Amino acid sequence: MSTKESKGRIGLLQGTLDLLILRTLLLGPTHGHAIAKAIAFHSDDVLQVEQGSLYPALHRLIKRGWISAEQGASENNRRAKYYRLTVKGRRQLQVEISKWDKLTEAIARILRPAERESA
Amino acid sequence: MMKGRKRILDDLDDDIRDHIERETQDNIERGIAPEEARTMALRKFGNVVRVKEEARKVWSLVWLEQLLQDVRFGLRMLRRNPGFTAVAAVTLALGIGANTAIFSVVYAVLLKPLPYTNPQQLFTAFQANQQQGIAEIGCSYLNFEDWRAQNHVFSELGGVVAHQLTLTGRGEPTVVNVSVVTPELFALLDAKPLAGRIFFPADGKQSAPPVAILSEDLWRRRFGGDPKITGSPIELDKRLYTIIAVMPADFRTPFFNKQEVWVPLVQDPVFSTFMPRRGVHLLPVIGRLKPGVSVAQAKAEMDAISERLAREFPAENKGWSVRLVPLQKEITGDVRAPLLVLLSAVGLVLLIACANIANLLLARATSRSKEIAVRTALGAGRARIMRQLLSESVVLGLLGGGVGIALAFWGVHALGSLVPRSLLRVNAIGVDNQVLGFAVLLSSIAGIVFGLVPAVFAVNPDVQNSLREGGGRSGESRNRRRARSFLAAAEISLAMVLLVTAGLLLRSFANLISVSPGFEPQNIVQADISLPQSKYSTPQQWAAFSEEVLARIQSEPGLQDTAVAVPRPIVDNSVNLTFEIAGSPPSSSAASRRADYESVSPDYFRVMRIPLLAGRLFTPHDAASEPRVSIISKTMARLYFPNENPIGKHISFAFSRAEDESAHEIVGIVDDVRDVALGQNPGAMMYVPYAQAPLWGANLVIRTTLSTASVGSAIRREVENIDKDVPVTDIAKMPNLINASIAQSRFRTFLLGLVAAMALVLAATGIFGVISYSVSRRTNEIGIRIALGASRKTILSLILRETLGLTLAGLAVGFPCALVASHFARHLLFNVSSNDPTTLAAVALCLAAVAGLAGYIPARRAMRVDPLVALRCE
Repeated sequence: MSTKESKGRIGLLQGTLDLLILRTLLLGPTHGHAIAKAIAFHSDDVLQVEQGSLYPALHRLIKRGWISAEQGASENNRRAKYYRLTVKGRRQLQVEISKWDKLTEAIARILRPAERESA
Repeated sequence: MMKGRKRILDDLDDDIRDHIERETQDNIERGIAPEEARTMALRKFGNVVRVKEEARKVWSLVWLEQLLQDVRFGLRMLRRNPGFTAVAAVTLALGIGANTAIFSVVYAVLLKPLPYTNPQQLFTAFQANQQQGIAEIGCSYLNFEDWRAQNHVFSELGGVVAHQLTLTGRGEPTVVNVSVVTPELFALLDAKPLAGRIFFPADGKQSAPPVAILSEDLWRRRFGGDPKITGSPIELDKRLYTIIAVMPADFRTPFFNKQEVWVPLVQDPVFSTFMPRRGVHLLPVIGRLKPGVSVAQAKAEMDAISERLAREFPAENKGWSVRLVPLQKEITGDVRAPLLVLLSAVGLVLLIACANIANLLLARATSRSKEIAVRTALGAGRARIMRQLLSESVVLGLLGGGVGIALAFWGVHALGSLVPRSLLRVNAIGVDNQVLGFAVLLSSIAGIVFGLVPAVFAVNPDVQNSLREGGGRSGESRNRRRARSFLAAAEISLAMVLLVTAGLLLRSFANLISVSPGFEPQNIVQADISLPQSKYSTPQQWAAFSEEVLARIQSEPGLQDTAVAVPRPIVDNSVNLTFEIAGSPPSSSAASRRADYESVSPDYFRVMRIPLLAGRLFTPHDAASEPRVSIISKTMARLYFPNENPIGKHISFAFSRAEDESAHEIVGIVDDVRDVALGQNPGAMMYVPYAQAPLWGANLVIRTTLSTASVGSAIRREVENIDKDVPVTDIAKMPNLINASIAQSRFRTFLLGLVAAMALVLAATGIFGVISYSVSRRTNEIGIRIALGASRKTILSLILRETLGLTLAGLAVGFPCALVASHFARHLLFNVSSNDPTTLAAVALCLAAVAGLAGYIPARRAMRVDPLVALRCE
């Protein structure tokens, strides 16, 4: 997974992409391109995902049983695969979010100890 | 899962194409030129090939990578403990090697399908007579014809018998092994000749010209591999047959050992004469079931036919039924039990080996408990650790298995003599793919078996305790110690099972070789003289020939003690006949009188040193022109003449020729002879003078101190002087032949003894390991005891008591197991009961002594513990 930085855009931490995909799919089943667009859009284009790296991540999630893939009838007759959050995935999202919260909190504490004391 | 993975990966291309098209479309909508829009989309997507590769990796490599990791780790651990690895690998290699080698025999003989088309359809059809206690015997030709004509369950039936005929012309006269078949048999077996054609039904007609099929071996040996052999003549028994085909070397018709020539039954000089006689049980029959016909259906149909034949021909067929057995089972019937006993034995050895290694691993796991605890503390799951430990032990198993397979490759050749050669030729024994698969599977299973107990103990440690303990010196958990003791005791039990079985077989074999055959085989040389049937077709000719041969050979220096006997005990197949006693009511078929029958020249009893018990022996006066006489054996007198003197009574044989109709007067009783096999108790026997009732052939027995070679050349010279077309074969010392007749039993006993010895050594090592380990663990405790005044003797008895406890527990469990096992092997025993107390006691004592010794070595070390050093250790 790409973690390189360029021009104010931030590469993703390992595992974070999974979290973002799960979160995106919480809104409803959709296809790969839409997921990539949504991640870019909701982060105001700050988070750079090399769109291709989305697919290994999707497969990893399918394998863990957190999302499922199905062949969807799509507009203008194209084959498109739709990804859907499973019940297990929904639960996992909660776990991941709380983990993420803990992590960011911990990192913030380390990076800004003074602010915390003054607060 | 597998399917889902494949589909998802297949769809990935579509997904990616769809994604790029959508992105291109978005770009176009943003007003970018189509060409540029696509390039941008591709750039944004990134490296398509790498994406696909990563996606594939998601699916395939995780478990494999972990496995590789575990295996690499396992290998590293094994390398780091070369001593442990070597001991474990050698132990396993012996176990796996023995199992693989024996399995290769079991597979080739019992499991591998016979080399015929659809062999599962092939059955043997024998006749059986429950009332007479005849389990299976051939079928008469006329019955066979009726079976063929009347049944609807077999697509074809064929019969085969075998004997030897003389082969003359083209070099020295010799005898060849001839299988005599009904012509259908070749088509039934779907036989494919190297050259020429198989027998056609027309070859079975009385008027058909005589034809013969050669084996590849005989074709090469005697006919120089002549490529234009078909159509050439071959002279069998002074009669010309046309060679119509050569069969490939690996082709055999069932049942008979050596096969060099095949001829149709109707053309055979001996057996064809029995074709019109419904009472002669001539042919073992093979049938091919029609597709879709069940064995039960076939049995029902054949039963119905038997009943019909019994009604139509009550004299010959009353009381006779048909027995159907799968061909493979019939062929391998005799070797099945010994092979399975051996396979179980090596299986037990492997179990002992596993117990041994499990014990070693347990001891090591104790010292590794800290490593495991650290891993657990760092968050490794139980399953993950367990998998890692099991991978380690499976790696060890495969390592030992690899060495074992190499051993098996080497050892399997030595196992050839475990089964009769006729079976070997049918299915070659070797370490082939299936056997290799078995070995690999067995090694993996062994790895899991011996790895499981230590692994379970390893993942359930008290983490905090393990971390706190220094190196875990004094604290081996009670459960773990119990497990180790249990394993050691189990080894004793298993070893006891093996030793008892081996001990019983050993005693059986000792009984077998010390049993007296009833004659003295030492210094007896035997030779076969085969008379061509066409030239010597009447009993008078046989008698005249043998009389002349005897006279000539007896006049040679050193060969005075020569006699003719057909058939000879042990080395020839016995002839069993029904007989009647004059003045007694004829026996019913329910309890017919039967005895083995032997036709001998007057000197036979003297040459063989068979003692006369009553009456007189045959003399040269008992000639063809004189009243018929016979001599019976002690057992025959006891069975059929209870409470009366048999001498002077007359007996007659059902199987008698016109010229030999009159009853034979019993003139003497001789001692019993084991004529069938050394291992079979003597049954009733009757002897007749060869001059009065000759059988075909002049088989010689000679008591001489001359060498076999000089005896052979003397006989050859004399026979050639009488008739140059008569072959002399099988010149050999009788003791050698008798030894050969028990070779299989000897080899079996040797193998099982070897296996049991392995078990004993392994079990001793197991005890030694457990006690040594226990002593080293208890050094501290022992030091304290000594410091507190315990005498060395007390310490010694402390440790020996532990050993004794283990041994007694093992023996207590092993005892009933051994009884069960030896009961299972009882058919292999001879003159010893399967719960022979001497053997049981000897084995128990032997095991206790060996275990005591194994425990004594560490106990002595315990005795010498220096309390100061021991206490400082902590």
